[in-house]
Amino acid sequence: MLKNAFLLTGITSALINSSVVYADWQSTLEQAQGQTVYWNAWGGADNINEYIEWVGDQVKDKYGVTLKHVKLVDTADAVSRVVAEKAAGQDKNGSIDLIWINGENFRAMKENQLLFGPFSQDLPNYRFVNEQARQSLTQDFGTPVEGMESPWGMAQVIFMYDTAYVESPPRSMAALLTYAQAHPGRVSYPEPPQFLGTTFLKQALSELATDPNQLLKPVSQANFNEVTQPLWSYLDKLHPLMWRQGTRFPSSSEEMMRLLDDQEIDLALSFDVSAASVQIERGNLPETVRSYVFEKGTIGNTHFVAIPYNASAAAGAQVVANFLLSPKAQIKKQNPTTWGDLSVLDYRRLPEADRQAFDALPQGIATLNLEQLGTTLPEPHSSWVSALEQAWRERYAR
Amino acid sequence: MLGYATRLLSLLWSLLLMAGIAGVVLPAFHYLPALGETELSWQPWQWLWLSPEFVPSLRLSLITGGLATLFSLLVALGLLIWRYDSRWMRRIEQALAPVLAIPHAALAIGLLFLLSPSGWLMRLVSPELSGFYRPPNWITVQDEQGISLILALMMKETPYLIFAALPALKQLNARAHLRVGRSLGYTPATTWYKIIIPQLYPIVRLPLFVVMAFNLTVVELSIVIGPNTPSTLSVTLLRWFNDPSLQTRFQASAGALVLLLVVAVCCLLLEWGYRSWLAVSYRSRINGYRRTLGGQLIRALGWLYPCLVLLSILSLLVLVLWSTTRRWRFPDAMPTQWSLDAYTHSARLLSTLSWNSLTAATISTLLALLISLCILEHKRLSGSSKSVFDRIMYLPMLLPQVGFLFGLQWVLLISQLSGGWLAVVLLHLIYVLPYVYLMLHGPYLAFDQRYYTQALTLCRKPWQAYVRVKLGMLSPALGSAAAMGISVSFALYLPTLIAGEGRITTLTTEAVTLASSGERKLTSAMALLQALFPLLAFWFAHRAYRPAKTSVSHASTD
Repeated sequence: MLKNAFLLTGITSALINSSVVYADWQSTLEQAQGQTVYWNAWGGADNINEYIEWVGDQVKDKYGVTLKHVKLVDTADAVSRVVAEKAAGQDKNGSIDLIWINGENFRAMKENQLLFGPFSQDLPNYRFVNEQARQSLTQDFGTPVEGMESPWGMAQVIFMYDTAYVESPPRSMAALLTYAQAHPGRVSYPEPPQFLGTTFLKQALSELATDPNQLLKPVSQANFNEVTQPLWSYLDKLHPLMWRQGTRFPSSSEEMMRLLDDQEIDLALSFDVSAASVQIERGNLPETVRSYVFEKGTIGNTHFVAIPYNASAAAGAQVVANFLLSPKAQIKKQNPTTWGDLSVLDYRRLPEADRQAFDALPQGIATLNLEQLGTTLPEPHSSWVSALEQAWRERYAR
Repeated sequence: MLGYATRLLSLLWSLLLMAGIAGVVLPAFHYLPALGETELSWQPWQWLWLSPEFVPSLRLSLITGGLATLFSLLVALGLLIWRYDSRWMRRIEQALAPVLAIPHAALAIGLLFLLSPSGWLMRLVSPELSGFYRPPNWITVQDEQGISLILALMMKETPYLIFAALPALKQLNARAHLRVGRSLGYTPATTWYKIIIPQLYPIVRLPLFVVMAFNLTVVELSIVIGPNTPSTLSVTLLRWFNDPSLQTRFQASAGALVLLLVVAVCCLLLEWGYRSWLAVSYRSRINGYRRTLGGQLIRALGWLYPCLVLLSILSLLVLVLWSTTRRWRFPDAMPTQWSLDAYTHSARLLSTLSWNSLTAATISTLLALLISLCILEHKRLSGSSKSVFDRIMYLPMLLPQVGFLFGLQWVLLISQLSGGWLAVVLLHLIYVLPYVYLMLHGPYLAFDQRYYTQALTLCRKPWQAYVRVKLGMLSPALGSAAAMGISVSFALYLPTLIAGEGRITTLTTEAVTLASSGERKLTSAMALLQALFPLLAFWFAHRAYRPAKTSVSHASTD
């Protein structure tokens, strides 16, 4: 009896909660109507820009929200803009409504109270997300998410090579060095602080460090010099054997793929598991290119969208964030010819029709499936990012 | 009325300049009330000095900027010595405007696709001549020494220097000097060396300083084709200014002051170099020898000019090829599959960007024309030879953009203008106005006022006489000035980026952003469009020349 009463109150309170949430969401939708959302998102890849344009068309039709994509070279530019606005006392009507963000930039904004929220767990479509499925959904590079940003997609580092002239590509950092010795000038990595370049440093460090567990702690609690020593001695050996003798680095994954297509380099990196298929489809890579990952796994993470504290259109931004979480948007995003970014939704929580739509997605000839992607290595604590970048620049950017 | 307007404009102009400079000088001494820092200190200079990238970046900027200026000057002089007195000069002169109209970012992007180890030149000779089936592991662009950057700067600045020197040579009556020299048995190169160059320098001093300042501080060319370990000082500063941790803003401001100092010192060095050359070469110039080695040597460098023009043409061509390519792999000399996807897929984006570029260019150019006319008319009436405005007008051309504009950013943020069209037009105007004013200055003041007086007796209203006769007769000059204004505005990268906050983007900002990524096809399409509109503007200005003349003759015979 007592048990039933508990159950009943539980259900009613859940019902009341959900109706409160529902009413809240209704008013958010009403506020959002007619708003213009300035979404600051990295704009270096054509296919992603086209996807964002599609999102803009959708939210315009469905919710009357106008979406403007502000294309960034580096997300840090948007963070510094919000910082500058706060410094200038502009606490309302800020120039940014939504930011594509994760890791270090998220930590910087969250710690400086530059974010709106918590909001993500209240988004109606968040019910399809299973926080237990992946640690990176709640811990963004070691920083607790706590509803201050809404998940958008998942990424994992992959390598690409052309089967036409490389038989067996190197599958570990040690093998990479051996490969460079045999083929001087044919390997490279993006220039830190570009995020993929920094990720390469983290990947190398995870493999080379004597105790990788040190990386999960804030950098201030570890002996930075001791932990990173193997990395620097490795890079000192690798750089003279690299593309342009390590004096110039590609600026992004896109430039690496261009160099791979031009046969200037043998290996390209991407954080986008279907990058190879997408670029083959677009005529930017030969059909003989394939993806692969390292034996001991590669670094992976989740990327999010967040709303600055002084956003002009916070309601509109939430509506966009919610749409990004919808099965429709996530299915289209995972389509390898659109973008191929991994969905953040839990397959088992989806309605039958949406599951079928996910099953029906083409995989692309050069895309690895979840099983082939193997182990996902965790991102080091976000405080490592700037420490690694700074140490790298001091050593190699002079 | 005109007097008040001129004074007001001069006041606003100097306020703007002072705000921009103060916005850099104060943070350089750790004063930034917005961040709660009000104690003056030398701390930023210490941070700057301790930063490992500062000294190498500075050295690179000095080498690339200094050498590019010197080489551009020598090649420009070489061409003039070689060809000034020949029938080729008219063609060279006609080809100058289009070369100048092409935004430098577009040229640099093309040059990158041309010269890289897998670039078009290498594809043309591979594999038959070179034996390469894969691109060689060479460093031909983005090299550590900045040679490719120097080349890109020379491609842009050499035509500009010739363009600046031509009216000066007319003023000096160089042809008469050459004729007299020849009749006395001096070779043309010797006449140039002994007579013309010493007189030419004082007249082209300002354009030379502008070139020096540009070469030392340019951002977008270094991003595209410069090295990045380290990058030039201006790019390093840009990264610091954009760093999310605000501490680097202080050292960036100090660095911007250093850059300003470097520009000033290099201009002084140039001046000093000219004077010591005058002193040292004094004897050799009056010794009566009919031949000189110096003149011959400079003349020999003139050969490089056609090479630079050829590189510009090839750079534009390779953009046309890439923008219509589907597949083009090394070592094919030409694309194997063609496609217009770059244009059709992104039609919406390209048209928005073109529209933005055109709007900013048209409004800022029209404003610049109006302001220039107002100030010039006042100047004519008052008869003063050098007004206040004349003195401060050129400063934006000499101040390093990367410091000055970040100084202005605070003003834009506080006035809530940032990110709006007003801010974009304002910052464009700062750079468009000096060029438009300079282009109009000579023709406007040289106008024979008697035409206007005659017209006054024939027209009902003075403004009709002014617009129909004076402006009508000046329309070729107005057209060229407008075309110049449009091409300057189209090329602006940093001003658009800072004022537009990324909300208002143009062909230039997007092309530079994309150039660093791999999207060669879309980048090429954008760079091409970026070059197309200014070229059209110059073409129209050139075309309008003849009809304008006949309409003027109508008006005057009415």
